[in-house]
Amino acid sequence: MIDKQTLETSSTYNPQTIKAIQERAELGRYLIRGYGAFRNVPRFDDLVFLTASLTRFPLEGYREKCQTKTVLGTRYAKRPMELEIPITIAGMSFGALSRNAKVALGQAATLVGTSTTTGDGGMLPAEREASSKLVYQCLPSRYGFNVKDLKKADAIEIVVGQGAKPGGGGLLLGQKVSKVVAGMRTLPEGVDQRSPCRHPDWVGADDLRIKIEELREATDWQIPIYVKMGATRVKDDVKLAVKAGADVVVLDGMEGGTAATQSIFQEHTGIPTLPALAQAVEALKELDVYGEVQLVISGGIRSGPDVAKALALGADAVSLGTATLIAMGCNKPVYIEDYHKLGTEPYHCHHCHTGMCPVGITTQDEELMQRLPVEQGRIWVANYLQSMMMEVQSLARACGKSDIHNLEREDLVALTLEASAMTKLPLAGTDFVMR
Amino acid sequence: MQQPTVLQDTVIDCEKLSTREINQQLKAMVAEGIDRVKLVNPAGKHNLAVGMTEAIAIEIDGSVGYYCGGLSSGINLKISGNCGWSLGENLMDGQIIVRGNASANAAASAHGGRVCILGNAGARAGISLKGGTLIVTGNVGYGSAFMMQEGRIIICGDAAGNLADSIYEGAIYVGGNITSLGADAKLEPMTAEDWQFLKTELNNLKIDPRTYSFKKIVSAKELHHFKSEDWFKFKDAY
Repeated sequence: MIDKQTLETSSTYNPQTIKAIQERAELGRYLIRGYGAFRNVPRFDDLVFLTASLTRFPLEGYREKCQTKTVLGTRYAKRPMELEIPITIAGMSFGALSRNAKVALGQAATLVGTSTTTGDGGMLPAEREASSKLVYQCLPSRYGFNVKDLKKADAIEIVVGQGAKPGGGGLLLGQKVSKVVAGMRTLPEGVDQRSPCRHPDWVGADDLRIKIEELREATDWQIPIYVKMGATRVKDDVKLAVKAGADVVVLDGMEGGTAATQSIFQEHTGIPTLPALAQAVEALKELDVYGEVQLVISGGIRSGPDVAKALALGADAVSLGTATLIAMGCNKPVYIEDYHKLGTEPYHCHHCHTGMCPVGITTQDEELMQRLPVEQGRIWVANYLQSMMMEVQSLARACGKSDIHNLEREDLVALTLEASAMTKLPLAGTDFVMR
Repeated sequence: MQQPTVLQDTVIDCEKLSTREINQQLKAMVAEGIDRVKLVNPAGKHNLAVGMTEAIAIEIDGSVGYYCGGLSSGINLKISGNCGWSLGENLMDGQIIVRGNASANAAASAHGGRVCILGNAGARAGISLKGGTLIVTGNVGYGSAFMMQEGRIIICGDAAGNLADSIYEGAIYVGGNITSLGADAKLEPMTAEDWQFLKTELNNLKIDPRTYSFKKIVSAKELHHFKSEDWFKFKDAY
């Protein structure tokens, strides 16, 4: 009998690496999957709050007011985005997600007073109806992008890139390109759909400036223009977006998720959300537009503490993608046999790209989709967002703040040298800051 | 005494107006029911006549900058001069005619309607075209029709390199020389229907398609689904 405890594993050729080599040998291509990076990176967990004691005075939990109102797009838009909470729902396409999932997200966002966002497939009519505040994405593919839907939008998000795959385009494998999805994207049904990595009508920041003016002219300067980027050369990119005229910069760290892309992008490109946020705030301050141009941060944000720390570091709001799917039941231990058919288990599933989502979220299969009734999805997501806000308010009150946007850098310290160096926050219990 | 004619009422002199003011005036005129407007002295301004979603005839007397007529639906736009980048970007339907040349990205991601350039077009003409027709009576630049999805492109002159790389669907007709085709593009024999289509489109411009040796380019559809044995085609895609 072999004692499994004593079996040795190579750190170079561990089981995951062996499987990856053999999969590539069979497929003849890179590996494609959903979700975001699996690797461990410095994150908000590496920071803690210095809540009030004597030198600061806490507010009474659940009793004293702590405002959550958030406004995005105050720079040029006549009609900025007014939100009840600083948590928005990120762009995820109809196509990557099922119709029920998109509508549930829209309804949940409406219920808690925040915005949701379209995606690569354009604006689903049911999504527009469900969402009281809808951000319309202008992506490189321009699938489903048109002036009529543009005029129904509450904000426009020009997507330059996303955290899971900065510099790369998307991939929607043929099994998810159903008749409806193909129709919305003007593609042949069942085709392996590639989303381009760059916009067809502009190729640099000077062009972007004119592109932004075009979108403003088309919408009569009413609604905000966001520019969303994957976090790489953050300071330079944020500065260029600001100079191009963005009302809001949306920055997506490497923990950001995706419906399907090369695994190499998820694991080997971009920088984590934590240092990305710190650098973006520095860039805005250097340009003297901090507070004038709002900053939305995304990529692996999961909890109230994550949100509170992001606000304290200087974000105006955060955006959630994968976490809202998990709230709707992604990776839930139900329909176990269907997980097994995909060769995986609950809590380990990242097979969004296959279209065979066991819980009906990332699928176009009508039968699977019924596993996520809209009403149930709506409640789960709304409850999740609501609970996060209670967590943020609790932390803010404990720091003595009557408005969550009053959280500040002084409220935080870092637990690790890496997090300290990346954020320039002092290491906990010391005055040490690595310069 | 007779008041000024309707034509005089609907001229916008762009010389001392900003883009914002010009577009506001255009939209106000549409709201008043005016369906024919002339813009003079455009002086290469960007973003003229963008986001127009009502039927209106606009004549621009001169050259314009980027995105002229972009994000529009139902317009009938005539430009007597040259155009900057992305003329008629994302056009839904209607018609744009340019007497001069157009720079890069003409009719990028347009869904429908007709964009007609009587001179030459720069690089990436018809990039991501989603429908409608782009006609260029002169030449087009590098990478034209890249990732085109649907619609038709007629090029009476020459096409520079990597024409029609990675197109999904649609057809491109070239009357002159083609420097090179991109990945997954192939020549297909012209049919009687193709010649009839060209005749219908070009006769309006007083061009007889039979005076050109038109070739038809379509998607080979070999890259619609990845197959390991096609790696060399993917490797060399634009």
